[in-house]
Amino acid sequence: MCEANVYINRDGQEELLMEKVDRIIPGEDNTILMENIFGERRVVNARIREMELVHHRIVLEEIRQAAVNRHLELWLELGTEHGHFHAGEEVKLRVHKGYNMRPKIEAGCFDLQAYLVNAGQVQELGLSDHHGSLELEVEQAIDGIAQIYVQEKGDQILYASTLVEVGHHHHHGVKPVGLPLEIVPSDYSHARLGENYEVQILKAGQPLAGAEVRVTYSSTQNQDYPHHLTADAEGRARIFLTARGNYLFSVTDGNITSTFTLIKSF
Amino acid sequence: MCKNMPPLEMAIQFHGHICPGLLMGVRVAEFALQHLQVSPDQDEELLAVVETNSCGVDAIQAILGCTFGKGNLIFQDYGKNAYTIASREQKRAVRIARKFDPQPHPDSERYRVLNHQTVLTDAQTSEKENLLGAIFERIMSTPFEEMFTWQEVDFELPPRAQIYQTVQCAICGEGVMEPRTINTAQGYLCIPCAQTKGV
Repeated sequence: MCEANVYINRDGQEELLMEKVDRIIPGEDNTILMENIFGERRVVNARIREMELVHHRIVLEEIRQAAVNRHLELWLELGTEHGHFHAGEEVKLRVHKGYNMRPKIEAGCFDLQAYLVNAGQVQELGLSDHHGSLELEVEQAIDGIAQIYVQEKGDQILYASTLVEVGHHHHHGVKPVGLPLEIVPSDYSHARLGENYEVQILKAGQPLAGAEVRVTYSSTQNQDYPHHLTADAEGRARIFLTARGNYLFSVTDGNITSTFTLIKSF
Repeated sequence: MCKNMPPLEMAIQFHGHICPGLLMGVRVAEFALQHLQVSPDQDEELLAVVETNSCGVDAIQAILGCTFGKGNLIFQDYGKNAYTIASREQKRAVRIARKFDPQPHPDSERYRVLNHQTVLTDAQTSEKENLLGAIFERIMSTPFEEMFTWQEVDFELPPRAQIYQTVQCAICGEGVMEPRTINTAQGYLCIPCAQTKGV
């Protein structure tokens, strides 16, 4: 006998899901397909929690459907682990689509446009596909801090923005670039672990009071955003930075979702 | 790394991860620099006596530059979260000790429970991560005097670390610092060989 019984853990309670299973295939989107010796099949949203092969027992843990079907968002990451660039270096960024800083490769990007805002000038940037990952390269010389954003227009309108620093010690904030829904970093020079960081949410250039601001970071193991903030009357929300790596701020209003990637640099 | 790395980042990089004990050490190290009006150690200007070998000591090493290798980190195995930081230039020393907390914060208790579990569910992993964030913010934001006591202490600084001659152990043939040898009729013996031989 080499088949196993599959159990599922739902809210701490274990129940038998399928007997005499001889085939298990983990799929996309946290699904697990199982098939028993009678040819019956089931697909569940779950992950494998434990396999007791001696006792022919496999325990799954349910992943709630609500946690699986989330809207998609775009975000930007620098093409360097260094956090900033130096004069003369190639400035490259990657565009991701997914949720909670977890790329969903099969989602694909459509009709994507990228822009550089540098010293008040807006310039469209070229995008290229590198092994399934979208990259954008800035050819224009930057000295200081420039803003980059991408947009995808469809039923859902997605924006992603970030700041690119070329050189060191640029201690100034930035002006909004004018997106319909925008997350504006208030003071770039204070992005440090162990300190507060503040953003302002603007809708059509005006503060969006009460907006829900989702905040995550690249090292999170949370399935969903670990932080949900509420913007104050001036559209401002602040968070104490407690995790290493870059942070992502995300806000949704109607069919628009906009993100801002905070690159920690030192 | 071409910008000055913040002390907190230096400590985390040195220690390898973020944990409450390390953050306590960060607070102690930053307080010591400010209180003694000194800069991080370059060449034994500072000396630290640590009464624990827990995570916080790594923050002392990373931020203050008092390290095991330089010889200006002295470990006293008392099991106390207490640190004495002394400055040769200022001729001052301060002893900083964690206040005893009879009722740890519920977040800390829960974090400890999860930290001892070998297998965590997704929900528990998220909970632990979120608890650490909350504890992190509390440790770094709480006024120092609420968490620690400190007092200036009389402290006689030992001489700077010396470099000794290396001699060869007569049994194993390995080099050994001369003051750590046992000189026998057979020649210099290192401590392990002397113990094996019953010297």
